[in-house]
Amino acid sequence: MPSNYPGFKYGADRETVSAAKVKALESLLIEKGIITSNTVDSILGYFETEMGPFNGAKLVARAWVDPDFKARLLADCNAACEELDFPQGMSGAEGEHMRIVENTPEVHNIIVCTLCSCYPWPTLGLPPYWFKDPTFRARVVREPRKVLSEFGVELDDSVQVRVWDSSAQIRWWVLPMRPEGTDGMSEAELAALLTPEAMMGVATVKV
Amino acid sequence: MKLQHNLGGLEGLDPINTETQVFVEPWEQRIFGIHTAMMALSNHLGDSLPDYAIEEVPTEFKSFWTWGHLRMGAEGMHPFDYFRLRYYEKWLGGISGFFISEGYITQEELDARTAELLEDSEKAAAPLPSGGAAEIDAQVLKYLQEGDSPLRELPTPPKFSVGDRVRVKNVSPGDHSRLPGHLKGHLAEVVLVYEGAFTYFFPTEDGIGVPMPVYSLAFKNEEIWPESLTEPNSLYYNDIFEVYLEAV
Repeated sequence: MPSNYPGFKYGADRETVSAAKVKALESLLIEKGIITSNTVDSILGYFETEMGPFNGAKLVARAWVDPDFKARLLADCNAACEELDFPQGMSGAEGEHMRIVENTPEVHNIIVCTLCSCYPWPTLGLPPYWFKDPTFRARVVREPRKVLSEFGVELDDSVQVRVWDSSAQIRWWVLPMRPEGTDGMSEAELAALLTPEAMMGVATVKV
Repeated sequence: MKLQHNLGGLEGLDPINTETQVFVEPWEQRIFGIHTAMMALSNHLGDSLPDYAIEEVPTEFKSFWTWGHLRMGAEGMHPFDYFRLRYYEKWLGGISGFFISEGYITQEELDARTAELLEDSEKAAAPLPSGGAAEIDAQVLKYLQEGDSPLRELPTPPKFSVGDRVRVKNVSPGDHSRLPGHLKGHLAEVVLVYEGAFTYFFPTEDGIGVPMPVYSLAFKNEEIWPESLTEPNSLYYNDIFEVYLEAV
C-alpha cells in the first residue's frame, strides 16, 4: 500500500517497525492481564464469520424479492434484521442504530464519514481502506459525481446524488438497485452479486 | 481550526485510492482488535443499557475508553502528521500512548520490547504469550453482540422540527468534536428529528456527551461551497447533535 501522498517520506522499514510495535504492545497487554492471548483473534474471527457484508447482502436480496420486507427495512433497519436468521449481534457494536437508503432511477445515495470512518459493522463488516482514506472523505461531499466516475459509476445529471455523512450516532448504508436480467434468480444468487461498495453507493450491482 | 476537522471539500487532492481491503498490512488487524477489546472492557459499560457486569470481569483494564478517546488522539495530532500517517498508524500511536499515560505500561518497556522484536527475527515470528482469563473474552463477545446504544430519554423536547431552517454554530472544536468544520456557519433544513436523545459517552469541550436530540440536516452544496466548485443536483445530509445548532 503506497502512502496517500508521495511528498511524505517513509523509511523502508515502515511496516516492520509498526508490526514490531503492535506485537510488543499486544504481548505486554497479555502479560499484564488486560487482554488474553485469544482476544484479538476472536474479535477478528467475529468479523470474518458472524458480522460482515454477507449479512447486508442477504437483507438486500430479501428486499429485492419482497416489497413488503423492503418497506420494513427502509422504515426500521434494526427491526427488519430480526426477521432473518442472523447470528446474535445485528444490533450490537456499531449496529445499534442503522438506517438504509434506497437507490432508484431518480436518486443515488453514497455514505461517508468525514470525521472518521463510522460504518454499520453488522450489515457491512469493517470498512474498506478507501472509505477511511482522507482523500475520499474530503472529496465525496463536494464532488460526488467525480468521485463516482473514478469508481466507474457514471450518473446522468437528472439523477439526484445524496451524500450521507455520519457525524453522530446513526450508521448508514445503501440499498442498491436490482440489476436487470436477474428475474429468475434465487435470493442466494442475488446476494452473491452484492459487494460492500454497492451497499455504500460507489458501485452498481453487476450480473 | 484543525485541518482534520475541515476535510470536507478540500481542493487539489489526488484521484481516489480504491483499495477495497480492510487491512492493507497484517499488523493493522492487531491494533484494530486491541482497540475493540478496550471498547468492550471500558469501565463506563457498567452504566450502559445492556447488562454488563463490567466490574466483575477479571481484566486489569480499568479505564474509560470510547471512540471519542480514540478520535481525540487523531484530531489532536499535528495536521501534517494526520495526513502522513495511515489510518491504523494513527490508532497505534494513540492507543500505545493511552496505555502509557494510564500507567499500564511504560514507554521504556514498550520500546525495549519493540527493539527486541526488530533485532531478533525468531522472536518477531514467535507466538504471542499464552494465557488470560476466559471471562475477558466472554465480555468482549458480549459487547460485540449487544453493543453500547447511546439512545436515552429526551431530557427536554427537541428545539427544532422537520422543515425548520437552522444554522450550524461556529464553535471551537477543542480536543475532539463531532461537528465537521466545513459546516460551520452554514444553513440547513431539518429533514428528520431522531426519536429520543443520544449521548456520546465522552464529554467534549464543545458540549456533546450528555443526552440531546440529533437531527438529520440537508445542506445544499452551494450553501457550503462556491457555486463554481459544486456539482449539479446533489444534496449533502449530516447527522448533527443539537448543541451545534441555532435558530435562524
